[in-house]
Amino acid sequence: MTPELHTIPGHRAVETLVAKLRRRQVVGSREAALETALVLRQVVSKARFTNIQQLITVIREVGRRLAEAQPKEHSVGNTVRRVLHNVREEYNSATKGSSAASRNVYSISKFVLQGQPRKHTASAAKSETKVTLKENDPDDPDSFARALKPLLMEAIQDVLDELETVYDNVSKNAKDHIHSDEIILTVGHSKTVEAFLKSAGHYRNYTVIVAETAPSYQGHEMARSLSSAGISTFLVPDSSIFAIMSRVNKVILGAHAILANGGLFGISGALLAATAARAHSTPVVVCAGQFKLTPLWNLYHEYGALDFADPSSVLGFEEGPLVERVDVVNPYYDYVSPDLVDVFITNDGDHPPSSVYRLIKETYDDDDHEL
Amino acid sequence: MVPGPILEVHPPNGPPSGEPSTGQQKSQKAMTKAERRELQERQRAAKAAKSAASGVNGKPAGKSKDQAASAGGTPKQKPSRAAEPQAKSVAPAGARAAEKAKAGQASVATDSMAKNQARGLLIFSHFGLPKPVSAAKGDIHPAIARLALQFSAFKITGANARCIATLTAFKTVIQDYVTPPNHTLSRHLMTYLSPQISHLVAARPMSVTMGNAIRQLKLDISGTDFDLPEQDAKDALCRKIDTYIRERIIIADQVIQETAGNKIKDGDVILTYARSSVVEKVLLEAHASGRNFSVIVVDSRPMLEGKRLVAVLSEAGIQCTYLLLPALGSVMSEVSTVLVGAHSIHTNGAVYSRAGTALVAMMAKRHSVPVVVCCETYKFSETIQLDSFTKNELAPVGDLFSSFPNNKPRESLTLENKPNLEILNPLYDLTPPTCITAVVTEVGVIPPNSISSIPVALGRLL
Repeated sequence: MTPELHTIPGHRAVETLVAKLRRRQVVGSREAALETALVLRQVVSKARFTNIQQLITVIREVGRRLAEAQPKEHSVGNTVRRVLHNVREEYNSATKGSSAASRNVYSISKFVLQGQPRKHTASAAKSETKVTLKENDPDDPDSFARALKPLLMEAIQDVLDELETVYDNVSKNAKDHIHSDEIILTVGHSKTVEAFLKSAGHYRNYTVIVAETAPSYQGHEMARSLSSAGISTFLVPDSSIFAIMSRVNKVILGAHAILANGGLFGISGALLAATAARAHSTPVVVCAGQFKLTPLWNLYHEYGALDFADPSSVLGFEEGPLVERVDVVNPYYDYVSPDLVDVFITNDGDHPPSSVYRLIKETYDDDDHEL
Repeated sequence: MVPGPILEVHPPNGPPSGEPSTGQQKSQKAMTKAERRELQERQRAAKAAKSAASGVNGKPAGKSKDQAASAGGTPKQKPSRAAEPQAKSVAPAGARAAEKAKAGQASVATDSMAKNQARGLLIFSHFGLPKPVSAAKGDIHPAIARLALQFSAFKITGANARCIATLTAFKTVIQDYVTPPNHTLSRHLMTYLSPQISHLVAARPMSVTMGNAIRQLKLDISGTDFDLPEQDAKDALCRKIDTYIRERIIIADQVIQETAGNKIKDGDVILTYARSSVVEKVLLEAHASGRNFSVIVVDSRPMLEGKRLVAVLSEAGIQCTYLLLPALGSVMSEVSTVLVGAHSIHTNGAVYSRAGTALVAMMAKRHSVPVVVCCETYKFSETIQLDSFTKNELAPVGDLFSSFPNNKPRESLTLENKPNLEILNPLYDLTPPTCITAVVTEVGVIPPNSISSIPVALGRLL
């Protein structure tokens, strides 16, 4: 009983975002997440529903459309799942008043943490007033929606706030992770890592080596940005990553998406840095926001996210006859397996790769893994 | 025979001229020798007096140190440094003092600047920075001068190519050489060749292959018979050089072609990195003998040599795939063998090769793909290197090899050093022996741990 898109109020905003995503006009996972959250807020504020299941269906339909528009941009789906999870929680706390989600979530974490204060109680405490919600009221079909909407808007605002403060929260403890006179290696241009390094640069004097990350050459921008912030920076080609690794104290990487097994999709070149670090027993730190947690596995191939970029950055048409005789492979992302990563620094604290499954259980609902 | 024409190269910067920091300046040339000596004596006496004074009262020394330690603004340093030599010499300071002041303030300015970058630069100071080909001391044969220019412009690259080019140039030099009277060829030729060799080293640090070849040449020169007439001795030397090239490079390569070619089977996917002349020959030979395989060429900045290899291989009809180094993880699971060349190989089995080879070998090991290194025995080095910093070479900063793609706007790239930003392009790296499965040489296929015993087993020095 999935509703048609044009029947959903607010669908115009959804269609605009779908078009933008398909054309890859939204650049960056955080931007995509922010836009998704805003569109969902519009949809929820305009939605008409008499019971919670209708609202959930509407949100799922919208989410499915958005995720299909750009399947490689996982943060879109993650935001939808996050919103759904928050909506269900608000509903549960409003109707039943219980602190934890009373749906049948059977997880080890629930058994282990039973009785301990959970972070979700914070949102439940907000809704002090116990509203009597009447579902499917024939006399006043809008009463249910009217009563619940303020709580839902709060829930979505939570998601938006979290997205806005990602960089600040990730960089909160940067100065504890980086010491003076350390040499840090980083790859590509991740805004989260940039904020992390710049924040540590206020307190510590250290050196950063940035790998160029061919063929996107994002490393050049990163090096320029870091050096203009006063951090002494070295720009090296990717070929010298193993050569300099013996002097590097830490490798800090950004992630495009964090997978359910604790692995991650990072820009191509991240796997080289992580493997070389493992060969030298150098710690690998990944800085990412929690909106990048994805309930997804990379089982069937080594390619990261199956996203390929323009081959002319590798072998351009100026090479003439070569172009028709030679195959060119230019994957945009790398898959880094969980045994290569030591810690994920997220806006919600530091986690080892082995506990990512628990984070996913806590952040999303099981039903939403497939939108 | 007429000696070869002399090439004199002047350094780009002219004779040093002192900045008018103290105001009074007399060009050093204007002063006569006696005047200069007098000035020097005065300054020396003043300095001795000053050091005696500072022992009693450390204030002036401390004061200047303070000013040096404070934020390194050059104008601030100037008056303090300029004041010192004025205090030193009673007479008006001449060019010598101005020079000293300039050197003083330059060193102080670089001190404070160096403090900012000291941390970063120190750890990489082992790298050899590229030096401009400039002051040539002594007479340099034009063949050597041309070769040096080709080296510094990276027109001739690759261990084998450089060695063969060097030896060929030396043949010309030897033929043009004339023993001066009262000297023997066997003793004097080497001293004649030394400045030529230094000139080549100034252009680009010497490769291990060049070093081994020159060592063999020195041995041959010192072993020439005294009684031979000069032309015969020179011809004998040239013949020995030819034999060296033929036996240890050309024929060695042919043996390696066959041996490594036997490792390639139908349906194999061979991965190679950058451009090794030996690997190129192996692949062409294997294809010519009818085997059906495909090649993946992995390439990387700064030199992007793999493109030429892809051109050669695809011309010959071999199915090629081309990718850049970061994409390596995606294809490694399909590879059957990794075939790489080497610049040199050390006695512990570590391979010194183009930067990036270590990454390829490491990824192959992770995926349990055998790594085969093709290396002639004349590339063996008797030293042991522990990491890639001990001996390495930096490519000049900038887009010397035109290795950036055309569809990338140049403004988004950083092509030169900026404040707080330095660009390093190391050209070589060291692959640890644990990542290597086998080394194919002209004397057989040997595991990397046994490299040290090969010269002994063959009964020769190296």
